[in-house]
Amino acid sequence: MPLSMLRQGETACIKEIVGGRTAKGKLNDLGFVNGKTVKVHSSSGGPLIIGLGDNRIAIGRGMAHKVLVDQKGCEN
Amino acid sequence: MALNKKERKNTELKVALAGNPNSGKTTMFNELTGSRQHVGNWPGVTVEKKTGSAFYQDYSLEVIDLPGTYSLGAYSEDEVVARDFLTAGDYDIVLNIINSANLDRNLYFTVQLLEMGVDLIAVLNMADEAEKKGIKIDKKKLSQLLGISVVETVASRGKGIERLLEQTVKNRDLSETALKIDYGQEVENLISETEKMLKEYDFSKQINQRWAAIKLIEHDPEAVKLLEREIGVSKAKKIKSLIAERELKAEDDFDNIIIDRKYEFINKIIAESVQRPAAEDELENISDKIDAVVTNKYLGIPIFMVVMWSIFKFTFTIGDPLIGYIEAFFGAAGGWIGGLLVGAGVSPLITSFITDGIIGGVGSVLVFIPNIFLLFLAIGILEDSGYMSRAAYVMDKVMSKLGLHGKSFIPMIVGFGCNVPGVMATRTLDSKRDRIISILINPLMSCSARLPVYVVFAGALFSNHASTVVFSLYALGIIMAVIMAGIFNKLLFKGERSHFVMELPPYRFPTLKGVFIHMWEKVGAFIKKAGTIIFSVVVLIWVLANLPLGVEYASAESLIGQFGQLVAPIFKPLGFGSWQAASSLVFGILAKEVVVGTLGVVYAAGEGGLRTALTANFSPLAAYSFLTMVLIYTPCIATLGAIKSETQSWKWPLITASYLFVLAWIVSFVVYQGGMLIGIGV
Repeated sequence: MPLSMLRQGETACIKEIVGGRTAKGKLNDLGFVNGKTVKVHSSSGGPLIIGLGDNRIAIGRGMAHKVLVDQKGCEN
Repeated sequence: MALNKKERKNTELKVALAGNPNSGKTTMFNELTGSRQHVGNWPGVTVEKKTGSAFYQDYSLEVIDLPGTYSLGAYSEDEVVARDFLTAGDYDIVLNIINSANLDRNLYFTVQLLEMGVDLIAVLNMADEAEKKGIKIDKKKLSQLLGISVVETVASRGKGIERLLEQTVKNRDLSETALKIDYGQEVENLISETEKMLKEYDFSKQINQRWAAIKLIEHDPEAVKLLEREIGVSKAKKIKSLIAERELKAEDDFDNIIIDRKYEFINKIIAESVQRPAAEDELENISDKIDAVVTNKYLGIPIFMVVMWSIFKFTFTIGDPLIGYIEAFFGAAGGWIGGLLVGAGVSPLITSFITDGIIGGVGSVLVFIPNIFLLFLAIGILEDSGYMSRAAYVMDKVMSKLGLHGKSFIPMIVGFGCNVPGVMATRTLDSKRDRIISILINPLMSCSARLPVYVVFAGALFSNHASTVVFSLYALGIIMAVIMAGIFNKLLFKGERSHFVMELPPYRFPTLKGVFIHMWEKVGAFIKKAGTIIFSVVVLIWVLANLPLGVEYASAESLIGQFGQLVAPIFKPLGFGSWQAASSLVFGILAKEVVVGTLGVVYAAGEGGLRTALTANFSPLAAYSFLTMVLIYTPCIATLGAIKSETQSWKWPLITASYLFVLAWIVSFVVYQGGMLIGIGV
């Protein structure tokens, strides 16, 4: 499921980033990579605030839609 | 690498600072160079390289601070500045500033630099923050695994700087081989074949061939452009089709494999050299707690407005009494020097030049140093604390209605200080459309140069409501910007939405040194501007006020009077058709403070000072209409120049200059005629 559909407080594991070169590249740069755990810190209509390790990243809904996650979490 | 190094003396070194945003790069730059900085910049929003100098033993170092970047991918203009500099290779060594508390993402950039063959020192900055989090980094191991020197620092407290300088000088002639990451057989085969073709086609020897091959496989547009330029489109096509052919056969995208392998490589290094407490991530830290309030759905915008109002109040409440002192000083100095000159038998013309021209003109501008000082202090703190990106997040709701996103709000806040860095700060926006719209509306953010005009008029005509009047102008500017952004969004561009991802750095206490350096820079620039542009214009106006010879000083018959009368009819329907007002507006395009400077000269400040002259010549309504004009009309030439250089075309500065003049005229007309109709402030 896309990251944009997670609810506040939920965590998941990044499975795939879809989308064009720029979108993908920007997401990778900020640490959105396969196999990383993400946590939704805030989801209230506007952009989401995502926790990626110690980093906090604001991400628009459109971009969050390109990040596919698995709620079962990462293996390790 | 360093193949493009220009010849330098043995004891001269060119050192570049590169790294992720929020890694403390600028703090390090300040620490290394102190006040020896040659190019000013806006706090936090480093969008242009900045140079300074440092000395260590017998060596003199030219230090270059590059805009923060997460990778060499260069998705926005500021990142392009960093990347172009790094790939051009004209430096001896790169100090890669790394946030120790955030090693994995920071190393992603380090690894990219190493793959390119850059000689660098890994600077593990913010070592104290890492320690607080219980992160232990084995420097020796890290250095061994990456094959580079590693130095630990805490730039904000000046720790480790000596050692860093020592290591920099020691490594100056080092030339290391580029890092090689194993991308797996399929990709490796393609890399070596691509490399072979590059060699065959005699591709630039100045660039690491393996790195170039990887970049081409990643379809990096800049790399493709460079390739086409170097070996011609037809040969480049052969390489591109080789890559495309392999891609078709492959199961996974090559760029996915490359990124995954790179992170795997980094994870392995971290696993071997870093120890961190488990599950610490789940703990909410202080930043999260602040964010829960500050970015709250309902509280976010009100809190932001309170912050802006406080900045404004701070600037005025503390600034105003100080202005009084400086004003009194210039008044006394004018009288005293005037008396002295007359007493010494100096000709009245020269006495008038010094008292009316210099003291009346330049002095009336310099009076505002306290406000400028405080305004920049406040904005510096706002930025360095990390709140700026939260403001952008909160404002996303408003901005997205205009087809922009929250990040576009940062250049607007920067514009409150000065529109030139405001226009430049739009480089952080990755879509051309967002950039152009943000540039077009930036001059509506009331910059610090317009502040003197407001304060002088508000003090003279609205003494009881001075700060309300001034605040209303700032608000009017924002409202106009919002309206215009909406119009431009509909008129000029369609589609092409950009990608909104932005880091929210942890909150930090701004360092005193950092804030003060920026503030001095800005106040210094203001004084310099007063001493150069404003001084020259004021002298010019004084001369025009004295010509033709024998004319009564600053009368309607003087050249400036005649010129003003020529332009004045345009402004008559707006309530300020006097030649003095008209000429001050025209010359104000050179620099907005000149509006006050000109009025100071043409009203010959005289007995009661400029304020008395304004009270005599403007009704409150006309004054407010005039201020509206000053707020909105054609931006100063420096801003227009910045727009020209940022957009690479004359089209946008011309559009900006003309639409703003028309808009200003309409708004002032509505204010004045509307006010006349209902009969307020007449």
